[in-house]
Amino acid sequence: MRTLLRFIQKYSNLMLFLLLEAIAIALLVQGSTFQRSKLVGLNREISGYLFSRVDGAREYLSLKQVNEQLALENLKLRNRLDQISVLMDSSTVISRFIEPYHYYYVPSRVVQNSVYKQYNYITLDKGKKDGVFRDMGVISDMGLVGIVFESSSNFSTVIPIINRDFRLSVKIKSNNYAGILQWEGTSPLYAILTEIPFHVDIREGDTIVTSGFSAIFPEGILVGEIESFSLEQGNFYDISIRLSTDFQSLYHANIIRNYRQEEQLNLETHQR
Amino acid sequence: MYLLARNMIRFLVVVLFQILVMDNIMISGYLNPYIYLLFLLLMPFETPRWVQLLSGFLLGLGIDIFEQTPGMHTAATVLVAFIRPYLLNLLSPRDGYEPETFPRIHYYGFLWFVKYTLIIVAIHHFALFYLEVFQLKDFLSTLLRVILSTLLSTSTIVLSQYFVFRK
Repeated sequence: MRTLLRFIQKYSNLMLFLLLEAIAIALLVQGSTFQRSKLVGLNREISGYLFSRVDGAREYLSLKQVNEQLALENLKLRNRLDQISVLMDSSTVISRFIEPYHYYYVPSRVVQNSVYKQYNYITLDKGKKDGVFRDMGVISDMGLVGIVFESSSNFSTVIPIINRDFRLSVKIKSNNYAGILQWEGTSPLYAILTEIPFHVDIREGDTIVTSGFSAIFPEGILVGEIESFSLEQGNFYDISIRLSTDFQSLYHANIIRNYRQEEQLNLETHQR
Repeated sequence: MYLLARNMIRFLVVVLFQILVMDNIMISGYLNPYIYLLFLLLMPFETPRWVQLLSGFLLGLGIDIFEQTPGMHTAATVLVAFIRPYLLNLLSPRDGYEPETFPRIHYYGFLWFVKYTLIIVAIHHFALFYLEVFQLKDFLSTLLRVILSTLLSTSTIVLSQYFVFRK
């Protein structure tokens, strides 16, 4: 007994070290559970508040850039409005009334953003109070941004394309072939597209858009364009995509609520 | 009591400075300065080992929670908290550390402090970046990130000794 006590006394620091290290490794292995925990949820509120304060200064410095982005988006919207007014004149107006709209956009501001890590996250200043929940899509006027990972009452955390956990079905606009978009962790400007079979005709500069298979995004949201591709081995291309969203200058983002998401998911789970 | 309060304030300042300022100036994927280790580096020589380990744990956990990373800062920081006393022994001057002194440039000189900081930061960054990638696939590019970030963090920490923590 005494030797045991002496042993414990002698190695108590080593044991404490091993214990703490074990806790840390457990957190690491259980990554997403930790990130969904209450502790991190509480922190999202605190740090969201902190960052939105500090961000005031940062945003002021980038006013010019934000102005340009907004002007550009205005222009785009005005163009679309013109197209719609042409459509409204014709008979399609009837089907518009029959089919209720099913996407709704929640505008939000980026309060925290990282670009240079392997697992980047974005914090937005809209949460459950504004109807933002898990698995909602996030876009900006530049294109696709990411998917809401978790939300608390006033803030939400987004997994952007530039996170190694990100996966999304996207397609090549010109020929509708769908593949999986993911990120390798090297540069925030590029992502990779996999599972495009070798017989598909692709060119550099082809536009990549969302496929609309996932119930998260509507079809046809801009993702980027093909920067380069190669056919190393096997039957699939290695395609590098230049992302249209510049994550370093992201200040505003829109969260997409899909009113039919639940219906679609229910149907899909019934099929399995 | 005074020492405890002082250290708690320093803890808060270091963590807040890291997440609010330093995290915004990550220069590219290769240069991420982590200066929060300052808290651990400047702890007095006589601090009990278990206190060092626990503060390392809390420090890492604090950063992890704010950066929304799972456990990797905690693991890396606990590791250097464990190694620090051995390293201090190894680096001790011929007649040991004087009582009432702290591990600072002011007491033990530029060269000693750079050596001490460099080793601690290098071990920490090595553990941190490899835990972040969690695979050996990009071994060399990760190693480059470790080396460059270590140099940047070390120089930032050493500079802070002249501007912020002046005696």
